Amino acid sequence: MSLELDRNDSSIGVGSADLGDTMRRLTAGFVIAGLSAAPLLTSSFLSQSAGNREAASTQPMTSSSAARFLTQATFGPTDNSIADVQSAGYATWIDQQEAMPVSASHQAYIESRLAALQATNPAARIGYPDFFNSFWKQAATGPDQLRQRVKLALSEIFVISFNGVLLDTRGVASYYDMLGANAFGNYRALLEGVTLHPMMGTYLTHLGSVKEDPNTGEEPDQNFAREIQQLMSIGLYQLNQDGSLQTDGSGSPISTYSTSDIDGLSKVLTGFSWYSPKPTMVGGKATFNGGSRDPNATVTPMIAYPSYHSISSKSFLGVTIPASTTPDPSGDLKIALDTIFNHPNVGPFIGRQLIQKLVTSNPSPAYVARVAAVFNDDGTGVRGNLGAVVKAILLDPEARDDTAVSSQTFGKLREPVVRVANWMRAFNATSDSGWWQVGSTSGSVSLGQSVMFSPSVFNFWRPGYSPPNTALGALNLVAPEFQSVNVSSVSAYIINIHAVVFTGLGAKSATTGVSDIYSTYAKEIALANDSAALTDRINALVLYGQMSASLRSRILDAVNVIRIPTPPATTAQINAALKSRVSTAVYMALASPEYLAQR
Amino acid sequence: MTLGELDRRRLLKIGGALTLFGGAAPFGLQLAAAGAASATAALDYKAMVCVFLVGGNDGANTVLATDDDSWGRYFATRNAGVVPIALMPVGTPPVAAGKFSPVTNRTVLPNTPETWGGVLPIIPNTPQPIPGTSGSTRTFALHPFLGPLQSLFQRNRLAVVTNLGPLVQPTTKAQFLAGATPIPRNLFSHNDQQSTWQSGAIEGSKVGWGGAIADSLLSMNGANALFTTMAPNSNPLFLTGQGVNPYVVNTGTQPANTIASTYHYDVIQDATSTSDLANDYAAVVSRSINSAATINNAVAQGAAAAIAAPPNYVSPFGGGSQVNGLAVQLRTVARLIAAAPQLGLRRQVFFVTLGTFDSHDNQNASQPDLLGQLAQALVYFDSVLSNVGGADLSASVTTFTASEFGRTFTTNGTGTDHAWGSHHFVMGGAVRGGDIYGQYPTLGVDQGAFYNPDMAGNILIPTSSVDQYGATLATWFGVSPTDLSAIFPNLANFNSGNLGFI
Repeated sequence: MSLELDRNDSSIGVGSADLGDTMRRLTAGFVIAGLSAAPLLTSSFLSQSAGNREAASTQPMTSSSAARFLTQATFGPTDNSIADVQSAGYATWIDQQEAMPVSASHQAYIESRLAALQATNPAARIGYPDFFNSFWKQAATGPDQLRQRVKLALSEIFVISFNGVLLDTRGVASYYDMLGANAFGNYRALLEGVTLHPMMGTYLTHLGSVKEDPNTGEEPDQNFAREIQQLMSIGLYQLNQDGSLQTDGSGSPISTYSTSDIDGLSKVLTGFSWYSPKPTMVGGKATFNGGSRDPNATVTPMIAYPSYHSISSKSFLGVTIPASTTPDPSGDLKIALDTIFNHPNVGPFIGRQLIQKLVTSNPSPAYVARVAAVFNDDGTGVRGNLGAVVKAILLDPEARDDTAVSSQTFGKLREPVVRVANWMRAFNATSDSGWWQVGSTSGSVSLGQSVMFSPSVFNFWRPGYSPPNTALGALNLVAPEFQSVNVSSVSAYIINIHAVVFTGLGAKSATTGVSDIYSTYAKEIALANDSAALTDRINALVLYGQMSASLRSRILDAVNVIRIPTPPATTAQINAALKSRVSTAVYMALASPEYLAQR
Repeated sequence: MTLGELDRRRLLKIGGALTLFGGAAPFGLQLAAAGAASATAALDYKAMVCVFLVGGNDGANTVLATDDDSWGRYFATRNAGVVPIALMPVGTPPVAAGKFSPVTNRTVLPNTPETWGGVLPIIPNTPQPIPGTSGSTRTFALHPFLGPLQSLFQRNRLAVVTNLGPLVQPTTKAQFLAGATPIPRNLFSHNDQQSTWQSGAIEGSKVGWGGAIADSLLSMNGANALFTTMAPNSNPLFLTGQGVNPYVVNTGTQPANTIASTYHYDVIQDATSTSDLANDYAAVVSRSINSAATINNAVAQGAAAAIAAPPNYVSPFGGGSQVNGLAVQLRTVARLIAAAPQLGLRRQVFFVTLGTFDSHDNQNASQPDLLGQLAQALVYFDSVLSNVGGADLSASVTTFTASEFGRTFTTNGTGTDHAWGSHHFVMGGAVRGGDIYGQYPTLGVDQGAFYNPDMAGNILIPTSSVDQYGATLATWFGVSPTDLSAIFPNLANFNSGNLGFI
């Protein structure tokens, strides 16, 4: 078994060598053995780039450090990915992942799923659960794990949702592909992809928005013009580069935009609608109004319909496009997106949220500032390089400081879908059908979360959510994912993860009654005679080797009371006992609060 | 461990949870006061139910003024754009799609106002003059999908509170345009105004006024104070107090932990981590485990079990039958209300939601059926409360609407955008129904010589504040004047802390 525990290993991981936060280490109550004695930092060491720093380390990376890194960067560590990171080092692994081509297309999944269904039933249709299934397939099996994980993070900032809005399943799959394609590209291209995607146009209703009419008082739709600023780029308040609020003379925050900026942007966003090779403008059957729909209209960027585009003066964010006699939708849009892109808020606003989604809910201002600086200039003069931003987030000393595993406040609550994907990956779950037919996990007695099914454009939880009447709330710290934690959802999770671990999940086979997705726990069952070895393996895979002594002893107690029968018991009886031991141990780990708090 | 030991341990944990509530120190004095007051009103029970219309309901198409001047400006403004959203005048018969409408001079399209017929008149008990006149009586109406509310209004069980919204202090149009008075921050932003409606402050606020009201009366609820503020399927700020947390219930059975392993209970409730994240989570697990069975048992028997399921929603203008999600939530609320005596609860605050009302696009396709569901759900709720195990509880329960903002008076071609003031409903046997509270605003965007004192551009400036609305409800609920001013700190800026509707 390649995953030995690190608890007796006094060597220092590469991660520890990246330590920047000596203060944290000095104030930590205790330090986990094996993650402790980092070398003192020198100023010359700090000045080196992250990649060089790693190269400068002479110590082998521990499997715990690698697993902890993979917990932040992927849908969860596996035997292989831990070995890969240990062998490549963090920076090289990130480079390899970012260079890896997009592994699979969600749109292609939807198309082939529809074709497969229609092969037996020509009237078959697909629906949004098919998109969810495509998400699970890629989350569990995609080799481009960093892209998969960042794609989920982006989908929670640039939100569209099936919930409450009729969106075409293939169209949403195409939108999710677009997020993935831009995950390591430039933010400016991502912003344009988001703005012109017909599913965003449908969700935030700028698709088909028409220029103002002074005779009737009719105004352009303001929906996307507002949310692109509030949620997807600059936020409500002027920020310092470390993410803190700028304030005016009286100590109040300073708004980034006002209603008049929304008015101006909403005029820019008029005259965009469905793609068509032969656009038509007028009447109910016009392609502008959704008539004569091209079969690819939901997966192709919206096009401009100039006669519906406002030609009056448009002012926003300090820029004015003067009134003209000729409509120029694409030119106006370029000015608008460039203006938003170059606003100094974008780096800290987007950077902080990406840190929260991958690493920790409460990054230090210095961490946000370091990431924002990379957003502003990737080192080659390029602004908005998201690949560099992601790398900076994951290589940052604050992310790689392994003493954080004993921190009171560092980290984040794992998202419900990430927990289940984590189980799939750690225990090598497979889908009998190959389609990963999990279906919806949105319900309040399920996980309370399906990807692309948030209640509104404000996502499942808000980046500034601070749970009331908790220790974190008392410290004025945020914990976004806690917004969906309540007396009902916590029990629902426990019941669901118990079922997942013991019997798998997804559609049950009509013939065998077996769930579509399950783990045989082959590697764990091989260890199940030895409860300590079994628990150590689970610890390494889902708790990056940091299981508390109390959890470990409770799992050992629970496993040890499950007796392994001896002959004359049948092999089946013996195997059932071994499986029961494994399931019990995995379940208890995944249900534990210390697992749910990713550190 | 034996089962007996486990049970004892669970009981200890219940005790622990109550200590948490007893420790709501900032309200210690008020708690004592409330307890003293309640001694004189033994066995009374009151509940407040907030129906939050998520997304911002278009008040201008919910409650309408139908005098000639108001209607003329309304109709001219909204009978415009690609898909006009102007409703039809009182008395207009429905016109089938494909036929010609003499009102709009158009061939009627499906799902448009012409197909619904005229708005439904309501006559308030207290006449309101037409603005700018002294004697002429103004006339009013409801959206054609609100038929069930029309009859509730005329039966005096429903009141309208007009042009309501968050305010720091009374604000005139001139003051608003000049920036001369403080106004709520981040108007027109969904999340911030949801938060402001519920708590008086933008997102990040931690105490809602429903929760604060519950804090102040918590001692009336005895051992089961955990169930003082409850919400089906959501975790609302509104119900969060300084000691009170919303108890989130399922509209089905509460997920209760039935996994038979003693070790398991220790693991899932382990609050001894070095991580606050882990410990805060474990605390919620403990609350859940210690209470789910109590709730499930309480609603499974007696009057609670007998609360009839709501009928499906069917549009008054045809179409399929569908589950009315709001009515399902209100059924859960009714069951919890019915179970209250058994749990020793005397004050409860509930929060339910409907929406999304964010009708930027194709408003004709979204808002009407939501209003229809609202109306049918409220009438269902009123009906079940009138017979809870033989008792009429309707005078003990007050239900009121809230929504982050109203919408622009002008159309964007197919819908409306974010605005400010709007109109709301209050329902219950204790409500002074059949009336409109506050002066219904003048309608119309400034044009030529016409100057509308109530609208800045296409946005209504509220004339009644959410603080006044909440304080009116809280006073009925039994909150002391001292607590009122703590819960609604801006209340002192207004002439009256009571809008008089209850």
